[in-house]
Amino acid sequence: MRRYVARRVAALVATLFFVSALVFVVIRVLPGDPAALIMGTEGSPEATERLRESMGLNRPLPVQYLEWLGGALRGDLGRSIQYDLPVGELILTRLPVTLPLALLAATFMVAVAVPLGLYAATHHRRAGDYLAMVVSQLGISIPQFWSGLLLILLFSVTLGWVRSGGFDGWSAGPWPALRSLLLPAVALGLFQAAVLVRATRSAVLDVLREDYVRTARAKGVSERLVVGKHTFRNALIPIVTVAGLQLGQLMAGAIVLESVFALPGLGRLALGAISARDLPVVQGVTLFVASGIVVINFVVDLAYGFLDPRIRYE
Amino acid sequence: MTRRALLAALGAAVVLVGGVGAGAQAPPRLVVQAPTEPPGLDLTATPASATAAVVFYNVQEGLVKIDRHGKLVPSLAERWHTSDNRNYTFFLRKGVRFHNGRELRAADVKYVFERAMNPETKHPYRRDYDAIGDIIVKDDFTITFALKSLNANFLHNVARQGSVIYPREAVETLKSHPVGTGPFRFEEWVRGDRIVLVRNPDYHVKGVPRLDRVTFRFIADPNAVLAALKAGDVDASLFGLGPEHVQDVRKDARFQVIVGDTTNDVILAMNNSRKPYGDVRVRRAITHGINKQDVLKGAMFGMGKVLGTNVDPLNPFYLDLSKAVPYDPAAARKLLAEAGYPNGFDTVLKVAPQYYYTVRSGEVIAENLKKIGVNVKIEQIEWGQWLARVFRESDFDLTIIGHAEAWDIKNYANPKYYFRYDSAKFQDLFARSEVTLDDTARRALFGEMQKLMVEDAPVVWLYMHPRLAVAKQGAQGFWKDLPVPAADMSEVGWATR
Repeated sequence: MRRYVARRVAALVATLFFVSALVFVVIRVLPGDPAALIMGTEGSPEATERLRESMGLNRPLPVQYLEWLGGALRGDLGRSIQYDLPVGELILTRLPVTLPLALLAATFMVAVAVPLGLYAATHHRRAGDYLAMVVSQLGISIPQFWSGLLLILLFSVTLGWVRSGGFDGWSAGPWPALRSLLLPAVALGLFQAAVLVRATRSAVLDVLREDYVRTARAKGVSERLVVGKHTFRNALIPIVTVAGLQLGQLMAGAIVLESVFALPGLGRLALGAISARDLPVVQGVTLFVASGIVVINFVVDLAYGFLDPRIRYE
Repeated sequence: MTRRALLAALGAAVVLVGGVGAGAQAPPRLVVQAPTEPPGLDLTATPASATAAVVFYNVQEGLVKIDRHGKLVPSLAERWHTSDNRNYTFFLRKGVRFHNGRELRAADVKYVFERAMNPETKHPYRRDYDAIGDIIVKDDFTITFALKSLNANFLHNVARQGSVIYPREAVETLKSHPVGTGPFRFEEWVRGDRIVLVRNPDYHVKGVPRLDRVTFRFIADPNAVLAALKAGDVDASLFGLGPEHVQDVRKDARFQVIVGDTTNDVILAMNNSRKPYGDVRVRRAITHGINKQDVLKGAMFGMGKVLGTNVDPLNPFYLDLSKAVPYDPAAARKLLAEAGYPNGFDTVLKVAPQYYYTVRSGEVIAENLKKIGVNVKIEQIEWGQWLARVFRESDFDLTIIGHAEAWDIKNYANPKYYFRYDSAKFQDLFARSEVTLDDTARRALFGEMQKLMVEDAPVVWLYMHPRLAVAKQGAQGFWKDLPVPAADMSEVGWATR
């Protein structure tokens, strides 16, 4: 087990190194640089050139990268060009938006998808199953920005229950903050739930076809126990795998929905930083998100062992 | 306290609070939507219009001001004087205080301009101060600028957003916390969400500002802006909505729509240094081949004004030449044949979808030009790439963009500017206009420049991008036209309800 963890940590470090080098090169070879974007069409070429020089953008790429890497190893992710603030601080101020948003969306996803998938599987080829599949097909097909807008139209424009967007922070108490995050979390979770319903349904269906399920039913075990004990736990491995992957995808969804709901989260920070070529911020956020995804995958792998004691980590 | 008594007390409290809330005047606050977050708040470091919209005229002001009618009026200087057009003396208003409490003195003005002229500062408009020689502080409230040469734009340059006056002690923090003398004090910038300005109780103009608090909220998506307006979370959108959204809002009695003029001229730039656009006949053919009214209808739902030259209708020297080169496909084909392209040619139009109107205008233009045999392939590129490829390296055939700056005719006298218009005659006219102070003579030179522009057709001036603003009914005092790209909130307030 200890060796396994050590191997995973080494893989994490290698992944992060690779991701950081890739992002660095991609952003730097894209035409356009922060100085040009700050000066726009109105600053003179001389002024733009002076700004570029002062930002250190004229130095060779490897030098810039190594300097950044050195800082990152000491825990210093650099300063944002656009905001003139330390990148670490920026990420920390955006986390209280994106983390609860992702958690809410994930909770919504699991709470909706797992019962619905179980229901569909146990009512295979009956009306309830078809209905669940139609609903999930709809959920997959509707783009997130659109479902977000529809939710805004219904709940804030027509009914006036929640704000149409924006976020005032947690200082005013948890309720106003949660109210700001509720709609985007539902819009985000809806799409992911639609995918997870299908995964749950087919995983449960597979197990229901196993011999030991037939045996259990033959010896007169109640259907409740057959599904709840013999089937569901065995079906959990593929469900947890899909759910883990989807947690990673929540980040991509957050970029879209944070824009629709004007939330100051990590996704919008990354989006703005890419168009402003704010490299330190893009690097910092990418590293942060990549670490998050690697950690989620790690937790998913560990969960396999708890779900199925036959699995060993060597 | 029994449970019943507690409930009764709670009920009474709710009624009381509700009653007070309903009876009181709504606090004079305004939430304004802004489409982009500023890349820093220092007007002496960035020319971004997103920065100007928040800071210029609201937090920081200059010695003189261009008002809502495009006129130069006193601001921090209560008057100014010149007898020879070489030495300008400004008399500062007394008792003006910076937001940090210190009184504004002539030495501050000297510091600000000397810093702008210093190459180390990286001021985006340093060239604007090239004519300034000595800056002499006569006393605490009198300052003289001695010019090295005559400069017809001097007062305009002093009124520009890069010439705002700030206290020397705040220079390090301007980027994140601007300090000035304006009607509003900067309160906070919640990165990614909003910037809040609050009333400056010591403002040097009596009776303004009318608002206690202005919040600029960053919402990029126009549909989200509409939703926020309709849900009542935002009171006004000054720059963020397109013509199709404005049409939608017009049907809603809760809102007013403000349509006005701007200095933003949208052009189809042709690369004059590249074949076939080096030939004036081709450029004139393209101009004849475009139905500008169609473009205006297709891109802006007919809002805005068709242009004939770079000089926009808000400019005092504006000549209406919008019909000088009319839509005439036959004439266009004839000119193309004369230039050696009887069957037309293929060309690429690069546009940045960040500015939606460039793509829409491009689609109409491509349709138009097909009729004269010019096949336009539209290539959409991201804004950062546009700045690098098109604007910096002139790597393009055709492109569309809006130039928002006022008095930007100088770009046509700069042969290195991205469309590479290089006319000795135009450059000479422009140089003379820079040193001609007599209004009649200067007007004549501007007239000649405009006629030469029509003649040479270095670009196609399509239309003036209209100001499209939406506000809740009852909010008043907004500028109708925008002679400068700014969002002056000093006179904005709510009608008494």
